[in-house]
Amino acid sequence: MNAPNGGRPPIFIAGVGETGPFAQDPRSIPEMVLAAVGMALADAGMRHGEIDAVVTASVDLFDGLTASNIAVTEVVGAVMKAETRIAADGLAAAIHAACELRSGAYQTVLVAAHGKASMSDYRALTRWAMDPIHLQPLDVDFLVCAGLQASAMAGVDGGAQRRWAELAARRRAAARGFALELSAEEVLASPLVAAPLREGMCAPLGDGAAAVVLSVLPPAPGRTSVRLVGMGHDLDRHTMGDRDLTRWEGLGRALRRARADAGLDSSTARIDLAEPSCLYPHEEELFRDACAIGGETVISPEGGLFGGTAPVVAGLSRLIAAARGLHEHRHYRLALAHGAWGPAGQGQAVALLEAAD
Amino acid sequence: MRRVAIIGTGQTDYASNRSDASQPELVREAAKAAIADAGLRPQQIDAVLISNMELFEGRALPELWLGEAAFAAGKPCLKIATGGTSGTSACIAGFHQVASGLFDLVLVVGLEKHSEGQTQTGMALIDPFWDRAVAAGALGNFALSISQYMAERGVTERQAAMVAVKARRNAARNPHAHLKMPALTVDEVLASRPLAHPIRLLDMCPQSDGACAIVIAAEKPARRLCPRPAWVKASATRHEQPYIGDIDRRLVTMRTLRDAARSAYERAGIRDPLHDLDVAEIYEPVSYAELAWYEALGFCDDGEAGRLIEDGVTAMDGELPVNPSGGVLSSNPVGASGVIRVAEASLQIHGRGGERQVDRVVNTALATGYGVYAWADVVVLGAQP
Repeated sequence: MNAPNGGRPPIFIAGVGETGPFAQDPRSIPEMVLAAVGMALADAGMRHGEIDAVVTASVDLFDGLTASNIAVTEVVGAVMKAETRIAADGLAAAIHAACELRSGAYQTVLVAAHGKASMSDYRALTRWAMDPIHLQPLDVDFLVCAGLQASAMAGVDGGAQRRWAELAARRRAAARGFALELSAEEVLASPLVAAPLREGMCAPLGDGAAAVVLSVLPPAPGRTSVRLVGMGHDLDRHTMGDRDLTRWEGLGRALRRARADAGLDSSTARIDLAEPSCLYPHEEELFRDACAIGGETVISPEGGLFGGTAPVVAGLSRLIAAARGLHEHRHYRLALAHGAWGPAGQGQAVALLEAAD
Repeated sequence: MRRVAIIGTGQTDYASNRSDASQPELVREAAKAAIADAGLRPQQIDAVLISNMELFEGRALPELWLGEAAFAAGKPCLKIATGGTSGTSACIAGFHQVASGLFDLVLVVGLEKHSEGQTQTGMALIDPFWDRAVAAGALGNFALSISQYMAERGVTERQAAMVAVKARRNAARNPHAHLKMPALTVDEVLASRPLAHPIRLLDMCPQSDGACAIVIAAEKPARRLCPRPAWVKASATRHEQPYIGDIDRRLVTMRTLRDAARSAYERAGIRDPLHDLDVAEIYEPVSYAELAWYEALGFCDDGEAGRLIEDGVTAMDGELPVNPSGGVLSSNPVGASGVIRVAEASLQIHGRGGERQVDRVVNTALATGYGVYAWADVVVLGAQP
């Protein structure tokens, strides 16, 4: 096996598992995570004992739990083991796990993320992530920020609403989640939730858990063989007024870092499959623009997040979708998984995956 | 593994209420000081890690608001939160990120501003069916485990009070410390208000406002920028059962800290910790915990911790000074407390400890983190890579 980029150990996606998304999962958080971890371990053909360390992703306020990784310590097998918790999108947790592997500290790391929007007023909780002096008192939440961003983009673009409705309808039709299938007309007739965004344009948020086993050990013959070759992430400015809302500059930086990390030139290394974390159609346009993605790249063939998703899990579910895509379509060589969190995509993460030879 | 060192530290002053500064201002104060201490400009930092327990301030994803204050705008920035070990876990995450080769210079900033939230409420948000009613927060669960520890190991209230006195007297030499009590006596600790038997007010850590930052560097910049870098010799993390009733005699065995220390000592070449370590900064949320940690960290045999404090072995002029900074018992902004342990251990190697610098050449220093019911982090630093 060729070690890419200067003799570094390759990082294999050894196993993946996912439960949901469901509009409402009656199981507890640990039960959901247990299911996802069980599937990932089975997919990797591994047992808990072969996992050296764990990285979890969760957000306390969303779960209503302090240090909400306490709730999953047992089910991720972290008792008497090294575990750490990234409080951001699950893809960022996977990127940190890859850092742990590259550092040489561990050979196999389990990544697990969970989110359960059904048990809380998720929209209200996101207000508590906004600047409490200047923004929170105005009831600004993540959906409002998405509306502001869409508004900034639609301002001079008369065709935006219809284009977004058509994109949302197309993605919903391809998706297997819990979102209703809607025509573009139905999307346009759905209620405005944060002008110019309409309810039918938004990816519905529900419950889910995802788990990925990353390892420097080559997979057993016959098992999924996909490598994580490049990673990058970024945190943009918080205040909307300090950003050009018509662009995802943070994603551009994250992708540049990921490409540099992988040693992949943008002019020669074509991305065959992109799995973006877009909750709204205007975000998919921001994504295409930031990643300079053209018609040769397949985007969200299974509808991406538009069929429904769970907070925190979204980016890790994109990593799983990208890995599956590479596995199932042997002619795909390079795939991009994307994660985003915070208001109007303030946090961005990119992982580049390659089909192993 | 790529060599990694700590080359700069920065701290705010800690107090029960830093109403003079907002959360971002505290973060900026510590970050700026650490970057300057490392001889860098903010633009040279590659990535930032933030450590904070967001429910204590009632926030979600606090790094979104605080990132810019940590000079993270337009850079990779993530938040680590693992309860009390958040700070040490963020430092260890930084070690891994630099060792991975992805970054050369990583800034870690820990923050807590307890005065803007309700800490006990935040800590009570654990499993609603079982532990919330009996063991939520630090006091109840420590009281249970300490009673058991005292019964099995014969540790006395007076010995615990001696730990509390040592911490607050040491803190008097630390300009950043929250509780500076140079004249505190054992009798005063024993006369302080009972909180939950056997814990008294002065046995317990305070809730502090404040931030602490460190700069972690790859070998090349570390050698160029720092005359005496604090090299990371080893680090280890062990997490534990989520229910206190499932943990067998927590403080008595403290199997997480014991195993993390064993693993880290082995990699750092430490055979006799009491002799091989020159200074230790350990995370003691309550006086009794420091005694239990002495045993788990191998400073003495089981049952000998009381003698160690009585004989002054861990005093500033003892064989192994423990917590010259005054420890968590003197300053406790939770998200920062673990970063403070690592920063203070590094300071002693850098030789920048000022009045709290121990009176010997520090070649090897220990920092630990403690959180949740028995989660443990161990970091061994050395003057040589």
